[in-house]
Amino acid sequence: MFDKFATILDEKLSTPMAKLAEQRHLRAIRDGIIATLPLIIVSSMFMVIAFLPNSMPKEWAITQFISANATKILLPYRVSMYIMTLYAVFGIGYSLAKSYELDGLSGGILAELGFLLTIIPSNIAAPNEAVLALAETSTELADYLATVPSGFVLPMGNLGSAGMFIGILVSFFAVEVYRFTQKSGFKISMPPQVPASVARSFESLTPTAIVLIVVATICMFLQIDVHGMISKLIVPLVSATDTLPSVLILVFLVTFFWSFGIHGVSIVGSIARPLWLILIEENTTAWAAGQVIPNIGAEPFFQWFIWIGGSGATLALALLFAFRSKSAYGKALGKTSLVPSIFNINEPMIFGAPIVLNPMLIIPFIIAPMVNAIIAWLLTSAGMVGHVVATAPWTLPGPIGAFLACGNDWRAAVLSIGLIVLDLIIYYPFFKMYDKNLVEEEQNQEAEVL
Amino acid sequence: MKVLLVCSAGMSSAIAAKALHDAAAKQGIEMEVNECSTQAFANEIKDGYAIGLVAPQIRHRFDTLKEQAQAAGVPCILIQPQGYTPLGAPKLLAQVKKELGELK
Repeated sequence: MFDKFATILDEKLSTPMAKLAEQRHLRAIRDGIIATLPLIIVSSMFMVIAFLPNSMPKEWAITQFISANATKILLPYRVSMYIMTLYAVFGIGYSLAKSYELDGLSGGILAELGFLLTIIPSNIAAPNEAVLALAETSTELADYLATVPSGFVLPMGNLGSAGMFIGILVSFFAVEVYRFTQKSGFKISMPPQVPASVARSFESLTPTAIVLIVVATICMFLQIDVHGMISKLIVPLVSATDTLPSVLILVFLVTFFWSFGIHGVSIVGSIARPLWLILIEENTTAWAAGQVIPNIGAEPFFQWFIWIGGSGATLALALLFAFRSKSAYGKALGKTSLVPSIFNINEPMIFGAPIVLNPMLIIPFIIAPMVNAIIAWLLTSAGMVGHVVATAPWTLPGPIGAFLACGNDWRAAVLSIGLIVLDLIIYYPFFKMYDKNLVEEEQNQEAEVL
Repeated sequence: MKVLLVCSAGMSSAIAAKALHDAAAKQGIEMEVNECSTQAFANEIKDGYAIGLVAPQIRHRFDTLKEQAQAAGVPCILIQPQGYTPLGAPKLLAQVKKELGELK
């Protein structure tokens, strides 16, 4: 009965949905954004360092040193995570071009060109003599002038997550233009006498010209504020993502896919990751500016409070198999999957137990992370635990990751441990039932051998 | 012989890779087993591999990955769920043998 139901669900629902996430544009977004993750993680750690003084005694010399140099310590973050769309756009253009079997490098450069054309540089004139004369009488004005650069400057705001959706759209446009010109023969063709290498250099001019002229016309000549327009559309979507029901839906979808043995986060993340990135970047920016931190449901929230030990909060299950199992198989499984589980790798558990298509273990596998989500959400919104502000490497053990992700908040580590204990309780009865089955099976097998 | 395992991020496949290597060594088969992420697969598989093995949790990407392997002239199979655990390594080894014939 269950097998039949599961087969139908897998064939009609989860597999087609998973295949959908393999659509080439979604794949390009996923691969492009994933390529920026090392950057986000490492620069997040700069944030963590810059804000260490918050959780260290004030009188220490190191605390005072970091406090005094916080702005400087944050500069690497300003040119990495703070402007991550600039990097993601190149990756998206590269991946999409590759998926069309076009030159990835050209695709990445075209996408980057298109994106930068939506960011309007402004020319700041050097102070003229009248202003300089005034500055001689006012030290305040002189100090201000000393901080203002002159020449062309690029506003950085939309190079970060705020520009993510424009970045995605422009990358698609640029690579589609590239593909159109390559596949349709709509390009500058040279007579056969012209050497091939020279001809190719002209061929590549057509897509560049089209991208440049079209985007510059829209953004620079007609001065249409595409970023403003898109952010009006995206803001409701972003704030809808940052609600408890949305979090629960995403958590459910991830474990639902895993219940059929499909990598849930990689499917759900294809759609949700751009939104998660906006949420975490808003938090990080607010934190760096010392403001109230606005969002809860960014990806690190899922990583450290919901998926403890991997999707399904399976660290608890690994602990149970390792220390409470009576069956030989369960003990061996616990021994081999506990260490990976501590580092949030749970495929040995998911395919080993197995949880996949196993009605006894699927129930807590779906329930435990949802309970984690509800509790962590309520505690965060009540201010009992800090909001997530940094992206820590996902292979860190849960409590350490939670501590770093919440900006050196020890309460987050305590919450993480508390949730593990809670998950142990949720998994226990189901584990008991399943382990008993395993023991019986083993005894039957022995009886057969005898 | 060289074998390449691919999973989402190249993390869990590292565990399966070590288990497969050990299982092969037990049968006296010298096998170099490497792992990579889906993003790196298309390039990595060109590097003299005998076979590409796709982790079961990314089976929705199997068609894409298989095409990439075929472009490099390398066979590519989907790992059975039971084979993708340290304990199931003998099953995975059997699957590889079935695809490639007897191994040396």
